[in-house]
Amino acid sequence: MQKSLPSLSLLSLLLTLACAAQSAGAASVPAGVALAAKQEWVRSNGAEPETLDPALAESVGANQITRDLFEGLTATDTSGKTVPGVAESWKQVNPTTWVFTLRKGAQFSNGDPISAEDFVYGWRRYLDPKTASQYATTLAPFILNGMDVAEGKKPVTELGVKALTKDQLEVKTPFPVAFLLDLLANTQFAPIHKATIDKFGKDWTKPGNMVGNGAFMLKEWRVNSAVVLEKNSRYWDAKSVVLTKVSFLAIEDSNADVKMFQSGETDMVYVLPPGAYEQLKKSYPAEIKNGPMLGLRFYALNNKDPMMKDLRVRKALSMVIDRDVLASKVTADGQIPAYGVVIKGIAGADVTSYDWAKWPMDKRVAEAKKLLAEAGVRPGTKISFTYNTDQYHKKMAIFAASEWKTKLGLETEMDNLEFKVLIKKRHDGEFQIARHGWIADYNDATTFLTLVQCDSDANDNKNCNRKAEELINQGNQTLDPVKRKALLTEAARLVMEDYPMIPLLQYTLPRLLKSYVGGYFESNPMDHFRSKDFYIIKH
Amino acid sequence: MPTLIPKSATESAEPAQRSPWLDARIRFVRNRAALASLLILVCIVFACVLGPLLLPYSYEDTDWNQMGIAPTLTGWHLFGTDELGRDLLVRTLVGGRISLTVGLLATLVSVSLGVAWGAVAGFVGGRVDALMMRIVDILYAIPYLLIAIMMVTILGRDFYLVVLTISAFSWMDMARVVRGQTLSIRSKEYVEAARAIGVPTWRIIFSHVVPNLLGIVVIYTSITVPGVILTESVLSFLGLGVQEPMTSWGVLIHDGANVMASSPWMIWFPGAALTITLYCANFIGDGMRDALDPKER
Amino acid sequence: MWKYTLRRVLATVPALLAVITICYLMLHATPGGPFDTERKVSAAVLANLQAKYHLELPLWQQYLYYLNSLLHGDLGASFRYADWSVNDLVAKALPVSLTIGGLSMLIAVALGVSLGIWAALRQNSAADYLLMLLGSVGSAVPSFVLGPVLVMVFAIWLPWLPSGGWSDHEVRFWVLPIALLTLINLSTVGRVMRGSLIEVMSSNFIRTARAKGLPMRIVVLRHAIRPALLPVVSVLGPLAISSITSAVVTETLFSIPGLGKLIVNGASNRDYTLVLGLVILVTLVAVLLNLLVDLAYAYLDPKIRY
Repeated sequence: MQKSLPSLSLLSLLLTLACAAQSAGAASVPAGVALAAKQEWVRSNGAEPETLDPALAESVGANQITRDLFEGLTATDTSGKTVPGVAESWKQVNPTTWVFTLRKGAQFSNGDPISAEDFVYGWRRYLDPKTASQYATTLAPFILNGMDVAEGKKPVTELGVKALTKDQLEVKTPFPVAFLLDLLANTQFAPIHKATIDKFGKDWTKPGNMVGNGAFMLKEWRVNSAVVLEKNSRYWDAKSVVLTKVSFLAIEDSNADVKMFQSGETDMVYVLPPGAYEQLKKSYPAEIKNGPMLGLRFYALNNKDPMMKDLRVRKALSMVIDRDVLASKVTADGQIPAYGVVIKGIAGADVTSYDWAKWPMDKRVAEAKKLLAEAGVRPGTKISFTYNTDQYHKKMAIFAASEWKTKLGLETEMDNLEFKVLIKKRHDGEFQIARHGWIADYNDATTFLTLVQCDSDANDNKNCNRKAEELINQGNQTLDPVKRKALLTEAARLVMEDYPMIPLLQYTLPRLLKSYVGGYFESNPMDHFRSKDFYIIKH
Repeated sequence: MPTLIPKSATESAEPAQRSPWLDARIRFVRNRAALASLLILVCIVFACVLGPLLLPYSYEDTDWNQMGIAPTLTGWHLFGTDELGRDLLVRTLVGGRISLTVGLLATLVSVSLGVAWGAVAGFVGGRVDALMMRIVDILYAIPYLLIAIMMVTILGRDFYLVVLTISAFSWMDMARVVRGQTLSIRSKEYVEAARAIGVPTWRIIFSHVVPNLLGIVVIYTSITVPGVILTESVLSFLGLGVQEPMTSWGVLIHDGANVMASSPWMIWFPGAALTITLYCANFIGDGMRDALDPKER
Repeated sequence: MWKYTLRRVLATVPALLAVITICYLMLHATPGGPFDTERKVSAAVLANLQAKYHLELPLWQQYLYYLNSLLHGDLGASFRYADWSVNDLVAKALPVSLTIGGLSMLIAVALGVSLGIWAALRQNSAADYLLMLLGSVGSAVPSFVLGPVLVMVFAIWLPWLPSGGWSDHEVRFWVLPIALLTLINLSTVGRVMRGSLIEVMSSNFIRTARAKGLPMRIVVLRHAIRPALLPVVSVLGPLAISSITSAVVTETLFSIPGLGKLIVNGASNRDYTLVLGLVILVTLVAVLLNLLVDLAYAYLDPKIRY
């Protein structure tokens, strides 16, 4: 509507100017820092990446590597802010239409110029059911016809992306998406070199075949051992890329990871083993890093289970868990207690909590006991808790079980399952209480709200609050970000009053990084780093 | 006519008949290491069975204010506590119950099955041997993780199931070793002789072959025991063995290995318990082999 | 001898078929599939994934498809590692496992046999107990404890060796993993050798040899060793197979891209083709090693006939 445009176009104009004025996210080496002669970084990346094809990459580790090999319209800098990528500037011509202008001279790693058609090809390929990307439906809802294309209901040509000219790309969204720029930083939306795929087919991601447009190129891929990247001299910002070589090592066991760090084989630990934080913080004060991440640890409750379908039971279970002890003593690695589905630091909604969160524990226990009695659940009743094999989850689970036993007299039967079996049981509703965790796919509250929305694929609790659903839909259609935030926050509050699940803690990312590696920002909320922002200090 | 040789002299010249088992027992006792090991093992078993009844803590009592403390006399945490505040001494003893029981039962099952299988295959020979050994080859190639997951999800979770699962992986080595030894014994003279005079096959197997297998069986059994106990810990770690809060030495050691640098007591005590037990088993095994050797005089 | 070998080789085919069928059925019967992920996959994508891997066909048809591709030497595409074929993955992991497993077996045999002989000849003496104590470290201390201890001592306190990682040509990465596997295998070989030699030493023909006045060295090395090695050889088969194909703990502790980790990950990910491909490899290795062991029996004990 014309009415609401002026404010929006002013905003987008400011954005455009801001983008043009800002220096592209280069490795900003602070003045006076001497760089080492050898600029090579060896880092641990957790489990072996399942693929290096950006359209198929699903795991965090794989995306970490594709972020260095490919670049989309936008990108993230080391503090997690969205910065221009291949797109030099953009305009939001109306609430659901954006036009991106690609920078001149952007090339693929083999010298071929990047055109808007390459983006169209890449996006269509990503969402094409024939490509069979397991990550398609996560980001598809935000591009016009994206979901229909991913579900095979419409042909790929209907996707809301079009090349207006050689370097102008038009993107349409089904509803106003405030965080579109963040979303497009995902390498799933990177341009793809069609000729390479036509020539090599499935083998296009092998070293020597791969053509990308990121700051680095794929030099070597030793399966289950290491992925080695080297600097791409054809990258548009190559002059500010300091590192010449980055090696991602596939180290599955976090204890082995720490040992390799200690013996000097690696410069970075991917994530610390559970329980090691306090001790390693003492031994490596300069190298320890810990920042909150956009992730939520919670326990799913089967809202259809005969015992769990009573709201009073669910409320009681949630009330008695002392999240402060859980955070400070049991997990002891800087995690933040969570009392709602929206977590701190995410855009688009505020954190919600419960009124009883501030009560002293005695009062909470008394109230919970009363609720259980009303619901007819007597002390001594057995409840079943399902979790997957992991030291961390086990520790938290034992704590929860002990809380439920000492405070409510409930006997928890612990069921330790293999991960795939747990997922299946959770999806199929064969559980009472199950361990669950969710990491944000993009920086907006809707990525977490989907956990408790009606008919959502991600909702294993199978709860449904129509009113909240209504508010969320309204919020998505709203242009005014302030109003949207209010609507989503209210929706979150409403849903959580139903106690569909038990939120526990917000994730943090404890790791070790050698002090001679510069460029790391602890406050990067989604752990989306690019190697181009790092440098090795002389040591 | 007066007897030239006094009766008493002839009688005392013949030594009293001793049963071979008594012989074996005497030889065993003479083996210092084996005897000491047996005594230590008995003490450990007693501690595991009776100890938890005497201690103030239960194996699942968590104490969030006493997490991960080193061994101390205050509060009677003689072995310290684990990262959830549970007393390690009690957990080590209770874990010992599980590990020892599993070790004993699984070893019993796999040894019986392995010896029977291997002896029959080795002795009968020919096509039967080939078939039986091919079956062993086939079972060997199947990844144990797969079998373990399947057995747990289909048959449910049960302590005896853990024993069964572990036995399922451990009997094949014994079968192969026994078969090899049987092949060798089969061609010995005394077996040929027995066959020549018409002793039935089953009798030959049980009276001649099996006693001569004892040596290698005993040794391999004392190799199987640690393997079985460690397999149990791997299974528990994968979620297919004993469930929390119940524990076993393998689980305790595995958890302890992860925090070795910061809380060494968590691995020292269960680790020492396991290592001592296994060493004792080794020495007892060697002692029994030496004692039962038909040629030792 | 050759006819026997040929018969064994031919017998491999039905054995292989049996293994594949059993594993195939077990994999498909296990709950959870390769595409069960945290984020549910849309029906259209699932349909395409299944079409890509022929999963929508009835079980027996998929089975035939698989056998057919096997005949062409194609082990299929990995479900989880979308960029690689199973042939690639197996071919990359095999040399690594062979190096570590093979070398550790050689060292364990050399050391174990020597240790066993030495201890057997000094039966029940202090030296015997001491040797057995040292030699049994590998079986009394679990590998997931021994490994980290080795790393702490030789990689962190004394920075002589890397604590993990792998390189095809840099031997320093091989030392600790081989040391760990060797310690574990050493104890089995040593104890079996000791027990077996003690038994052989008291047999009649040895007594004759000693009565003849032959020096001990000749008695042991020329006469006693052959029959005494029989149980040791029996044990070598399973040891070698597990060192090469199931050294999961070692591979995880040292982050080595070997077969053991691949099988375990494949089973966890329900990567049907990868697991089946590895199972085939393990079967072939097992059959080969067992054949060698059986042939060795015949060599060591001339009375054994097949």
